[in-house]
Parts: sequence; C-alpha cells; structure tokens
Amino acid sequence: MMTPDDALLDFLAADLRPVRRRIAARDLTAFVVLAALEFLAYLLFRGARPDMPEAMTHMMFWWKAGSLALLAVIGVVTTIGALDPARSPRPGLRALALAAAGAVAVGWAIDAGSGGAGALLTRLDWREGLACVAAVVTLALPALGALVVLMRRGAATDPAGAAMAAGAAAAAWGGVVFTLHCPHDDPLYVALWFAVAIAAVMLIARAVVPRLIRW
Amino acid sequence: MAAAAWDALMAAAQLGHGGAYRRLLGEIRPWLLCYYARCLPPGYVDDAVQEAMIAVHTKRATYDPARPFGPWLAAIARYKWIDRLRAMKRSAADALPDDLAVGDHESAVTSASVLTALLAKLKVPQATAIRLVKLDGLSIEEAAATTGQSPSSVKVNIHRGLARLTARLAADPEFDDDA
Repeated sequence: MMTPDDALLDFLAADLRPVRRRIAARDLTAFVVLAALEFLAYLLFRGARPDMPEAMTHMMFWWKAGSLALLAVIGVVTTIGALDPARSPRPGLRALALAAAGAVAVGWAIDAGSGGAGALLTRLDWREGLACVAAVVTLALPALGALVVLMRRGAATDPAGAAMAAGAAAAAWGGVVFTLHCPHDDPLYVALWFAVAIAAVMLIARAVVPRLIRW
Repeated sequence: MAAAAWDALMAAAQLGHGGAYRRLLGEIRPWLLCYYARCLPPGYVDDAVQEAMIAVHTKRATYDPARPFGPWLAAIARYKWIDRLRAMKRSAADALPDDLAVGDHESAVTSASVLTALLAKLKVPQATAIRLVKLDGLSIEEAAATTGQSPSSVKVNIHRGLARLTARLAADPEFDDDA
C-alpha cells in the first residue's frame, strides 16, 4: 500500500526538471559586473572629486580605497560561499573583523607618520561625517540588493551570518564607490565614519535579509 | 550511507533523471527519519522529514557534484531542524480548557457540502490548489498559471493540504471508514 510519504516522493520525482547548478564563480562574476556598473554610473552622474589627480598621489587615498576594497572582496566571497548549505560564513566574518582592525592599524601608522595632529572635533567634522555615512549607506543598497538576489537562489544555512557578511560587503563596496567623490582622506575621519556606515548597513542587513532569504 | 552512490544519484537528478531522484529520495528518507527521531519529539518527526525532503527538492541546484552529498544533506537537515525548533517555540502548546465543547458534526458530515467545509479548514492556497487540480482536473501548470503560485508551490500545497485533511479525518471518529 502506498503511504503518504511514498506519495510525497513520487510527487517530487514526477516531472523532475533539470536544474542549472549554482556555481559560485558565476555568482561572483554577476556581482562584479553589477558592482562595476554602479561604479561607472556614479562616476558618470556624480563625478570624481575635483582634486582627484592630486589625491591619488597620497598614500592615505590608496589606504582608504584599498582597505574598503579588501573588505568588499572578503565580504562578497564570504557571502557567496555561505550560499552552499554546507559552508559557514563565520570564518569569513572573523576575517572581515581582522581585516578591518588591520586597516585601522595601518591608517593609524600613516596618520602618525604624517604628523597631522589637529583638533579632534575639527578632524572628525561630524556634519560632513554624517553626510558620508548617508552616502555610503545609499551606495551600498544596489550591491546589497544584488547580493540578496543571489542569496535567494542559494541555500544559506546561517542566514544571520550570511546577511552580516552581505551587509559588510555591500557597505564596503559603497565606500569604494564613494571614494570617487569623498574629499576626506584623514585616517581618523575615515576610520570613524566609514566604520559607522559599514556597521549601519550590517545591522540593516542582519534585521531584514534573513527574512528575504528564508527557505 | 552509500555516500558515493548518493553523489551520483543527485548529480543525475540535477540533470532531470526522475528515476535516480526517486531512488535517492527513497534512500535518504530513512536517514532523515533516524536524524530527526534523535532530536525531535516523535510527533514532529514526520513533518520534519517532509520539510527536509521538500528543501532538498527546492534547493537541489545548490548541490555541487564535485563535493560529497552527505554533508550537503546533513546541513539541510540541521537547518530544517533548527527551523522546526523555532516553530515549536513560537507555537508552544497551551493547556486545553476543560469546557472545550465539540458540537454535533453529523449534519455537516452527511451533507453534500462536506468537501467544501473540509477545504475551508485549509489555508487558502492549499484549498485552491486541491480544488483546481484534484477536483477541477487542471494540470499543475494550469493551476500555477491560474493562482499565480509556482508549479512547485502548487505541488507542495496539494501535498500539505491533503496531508492535513488526512490527519483531520483520521483524528475524527466521524470519518472512520468502518463507521
């Protein structure tokens, strides 16, 4: 006699369609293409900072862009890796924390070498800082959206961890894009306000994304 | 666990080989039963197994044939176990009141509208899917197009709806075949 469980198995096996295997490299390529489009669109519509050629001769500019790019790469690789049910995003999140700490340490070393010691509040410039946070969060949203689309096709078994990795990746990428326009290269300023922006996007992602990728 | 065989069966299933897939599901079901029997109350085991099977089905594209199937299955089983624990916590049972009255079901049972009444007990998507496919004779694809659900959702809704009706009928002596 056929049991209800046999019926379920028959049901699932009936009309089985071939599926396109999820390949991490393909997801990564799709994200890189979308991220590059965002970068070019921002450059086209918002434009680069007026002193870009001069800024690019300073180590601080490259420290800012390089650190954010490194965080974005670790975050994206962690997020896409976590879409395999058997892989955890936690080692990637630890690597992100280490990379962030390393970036701050390098920034501190650059800052100490430059002898740039002004008044703390002047250097932090909170009005500009909050505007930077808003810009980075906004620029993070397209990348976060793209990652959520990929995540819905995957099978993250640690949705909270994957969501935080996606938030960190998207915010770091938003930061990379914003370096095109942001005139601030002071490591203290960057360490504070970009960290606030990344933390904000991670919190938003942690709160919202697990519901969107539930399976 | 015939690990290597499962790898090959799942790889074949991804290519659309229904026979291999049916065999794989039949072989992983006892494994899932053992898994959930160790970590869930007996009344929840069958539901958890079904949930895991459906998850295997819907997420089969995420299996990488270059890697062993066992850890992939175990990760899905664990994820669904945690999901089930959360659901159990949310729906913690309250004690039934002593004066819980059960009305006379006879007229409803014997009336021609019994099926409608039963379907009304189900969630709307489940009742709609059963009505369209099992009563009106539509195909899965036609029902999916009519309701806006995906074909997989239609299948799952039919299965879950029928399972719920079966459970309801089995639990109610009024519906006993021998009666």
